[in-house]
Parts: sequence; C-alpha cells; structure tokens
Amino acid sequence: MNTKTTRVITRALLFPTLLLVFAASASAQAQLTGTVNMSATVSKFVEIYSGGAITLTGNSGGGVGTDGVANSPLAAAINLGELGPSNTNSFVKASVPLKLRSNANYVLSMNATVASTGSTSDKVGSADVGFGLGTAVRAGTGVNTGGADTNATSGDPTLAGNGAVNGVSGRYEYTAANSNLSAFSSSTTALSGVRIMNAVPRTNTNGLAVPAIFSVKPQFYEDGSTTVSVTFTVSAP
Amino acid sequence: MLMVCAVNSISAQTFDISSGGQPTITGALGGSVTGSASVQNDLVVTINFGEVSPANTNSVVKVVVPVAVRSLLPYRVSVSLAGLGNANPQGLQSSDIGFGVANMRAMGNQSQICTQSSHIFYPPFNNDPASTATIAASGRVAYQSSLSNIAGATVILSGPRLQKTPNLTRQQTDGYIFDAIFTITPQYFATGTTSATLTFTISAGPIVPC
Repeated sequence: MNTKTTRVITRALLFPTLLLVFAASASAQAQLTGTVNMSATVSKFVEIYSGGAITLTGNSGGGVGTDGVANSPLAAAINLGELGPSNTNSFVKASVPLKLRSNANYVLSMNATVASTGSTSDKVGSADVGFGLGTAVRAGTGVNTGGADTNATSGDPTLAGNGAVNGVSGRYEYTAANSNLSAFSSSTTALSGVRIMNAVPRTNTNGLAVPAIFSVKPQFYEDGSTTVSVTFTVSAP
Repeated sequence: MLMVCAVNSISAQTFDISSGGQPTITGALGGSVTGSASVQNDLVVTINFGEVSPANTNSVVKVVVPVAVRSLLPYRVSVSLAGLGNANPQGLQSSDIGFGVANMRAMGNQSQICTQSSHIFYPPFNNDPASTATIAASGRVAYQSSLSNIAGATVILSGPRLQKTPNLTRQQTDGYIFDAIFTITPQYFATGTTSATLTFTISAGPIVPC
C-alpha cells in the first residue's frame, strides 16, 4: 500500500473507534434501575381509658363527682356517701367501666391506698373496701374477639360467695381471693390476656371493656372520713 | 462497523432512571428518608417509616420520592417488590403500605414536550395513597393501591420520549420527574420490624407518537 492508501484506512478505523469510546461513555451514565429500601417498626403498645359513665348504687348522700367519659383518660371521683348504719342499703357499690386496648399481650395491675381519719381498728380499712373486675368483653369491629383473658379477682365483690360476716368479730369481710383492696396495697395483677386489637388504627374506639367494681358494706365503723385512691396500670410484659 | 457502533451508542443512552430530587417524609415518629437531592445521581433511597404502632399519633406516615426518567424513545416504568413476608396476618403486610404515583412534570427546556401522546400512570397506582385511604369492613386501613398490587414486574407508567436530544451525561433539564408516594397508617399491628425493597426499572414501552 502506498502512503495515501494507508492514511485513508487509518482514518476509516479511527472514526468507529471514537464512536466506540463515545458509546462506552454514554453507557456508563445511563441507569435502567433504581431502588427504594423500606423498613418500619411496630413496638408493643397498650392503653387504658374510661369505658363510660360510672354507676353508683346503694349510696346515701353520695354521688359521682367526676364521671367517666368513654374513650377519655380515666380520672373519676366518687363520693360513696354515708357508710355508717344509717345507710340501710346492703352495699354501696360503684361500677367503673374500663376500656383497654393493645397490640400485644397485656397485664392490668392495680394499686390502692385507703386512709381513714379514725384511730381504732374499727375505722374503714382497706379490707373493708371490696373490689373485683366483672366480665371482660371483647366486642366490636377490629377487636381480637377470640382472645382469652384471665381475671385475677373474684368478680363482683357483692356476690354472696365473695364475703360474709365474720362469726367471731361480727364484721363483714370480703373473703374471696383478691376481693378487697388490702390485696392491692402494692401493684398487683388484676387482669391479663392476649392482644386485644387487630391491625386497626387508633381512631377505632372499640376495645376490651371490663367494669371495676368497688363496694363497701355499711357497718358500725368508727366515725370519720375515708379516702380511697386507686391507680390502674396496663403494661405489655 | 460504523452501523454497529451507532446502534450501540443509541441503545446505551436511550433510557435512564435517576433521583428526581430530595425525598421527604412527614408524620413519622423516629423515621427518616435518605436519598440524593441531585437529579444527576442514581436513584438509591432508604426509607425508615419509624414507629407505626398507635404510639405514633399522626394520621399517616407519608414519604414522597421524586423519580427522574429520561428516554429518547417511548418508555415504560415498572416496579418489582422483594421482602415483606409477614406470616402473622396482624403484622405489617404489603397491603398496609400505600403506594401510588403522581405529579409528572418536565425537568426543563431539554425535556421533550409531546402533543400526540400522554404520560400515563397506570391504575390502580394513579393516586396519592394518603388521600385515598379508607377503612375496610375489618376496621383495617385499605388503599386504592398498595405494595400488594405489585406482582412481578408491574408497569406503573408509560409514555412518549422524554428528552429532546441525546446527552452524554444526565442534565438537570433533560427529562421528566414523577413522585412515588408511600404511606403507612399507624395501627395496632403485631409487633416486629419489617423491611422491603422496591426496584424501579425503565425500558422500551408501547410505541406511541410524540
């Protein structure tokens, strides 16, 4: 080949070679896929609210000062009224509806203090205030209705089987297990169970409904005033 | 040889997908989203929705991921999903993560404006899941479209060419951007952690005129 022919061939090869380089450059920039990685966390969650209005029966001069409002924080105040023999009802009884919700197994604990102004053992004491949880009901859309609950109390403290007059002292006593506030002088389990709610948003107002029942049998207590303070705590162990 | 080189050159830059801008997250409790704010960088986004139990009192956790697409030919965008296998039906499922696409917009003066064909978001994904969420009979939140609507490579978008001229590198004004929107409504999900990966792919789409 002469010099002229060689130059033509060289140019003919150089041009596509440059194109190849160009193509490689473009290929390095273009991307046909992109990724979005996602993660989320669900932690244990439990809550307790008022289940609605409080029912007070058998009272003399008592009343509900701060009533329960369904799905609102529980902060009730009850005046049980006269607990001496002038109250001729068999029991002063207050039923406080509770509502619990959880996405995990739960434990409802209670802690109570009873303080009376009297100075003798005849004053109203923690053992004189009956307590129990009624039937726990799981109902409504979004509730895990198949879940089981264990009531650690003996239920309605006014039931005949839960108390009796002491044959020696003559004082009425709540004798069943966890049937009066002396059993709850420290935080003690009252109810436990499996997850309450299915996967529904918090705007769903259903849940597990259970009444907390308190009672006092009017007796010849030492005169004075009594203050009972009860705190419910729900947790997910 | 010249012909082969030319074909290779066009093919290599005909389709491209990248970040469309800074992703954003709202309504999160302990969550975050990371990704490049530059439309010239690859689409690599990491979303942490954070806490999605009722402890998060916001009505919804919403993440908007801008996605940029470029093409010299009609295109389609598909998505595929990996992960999210939760055996507990009360746990976070793919149907609990709303997913939609919306808001197609030109990047700039190098974007191709086609008058004979539209860019089409495919149903059911053509929505903002934060706006279309409803409560199902079970009480659980349901979306018009969610990650459960993704089966294999599922097409979510197609349309005519996206850029006027080939460019050796990504420009800031030579394609289109759309928003990929993800939502989770905090609920009483069963406890645990969940992860998944969504892959967006751009490829040749239905032949449509520009």
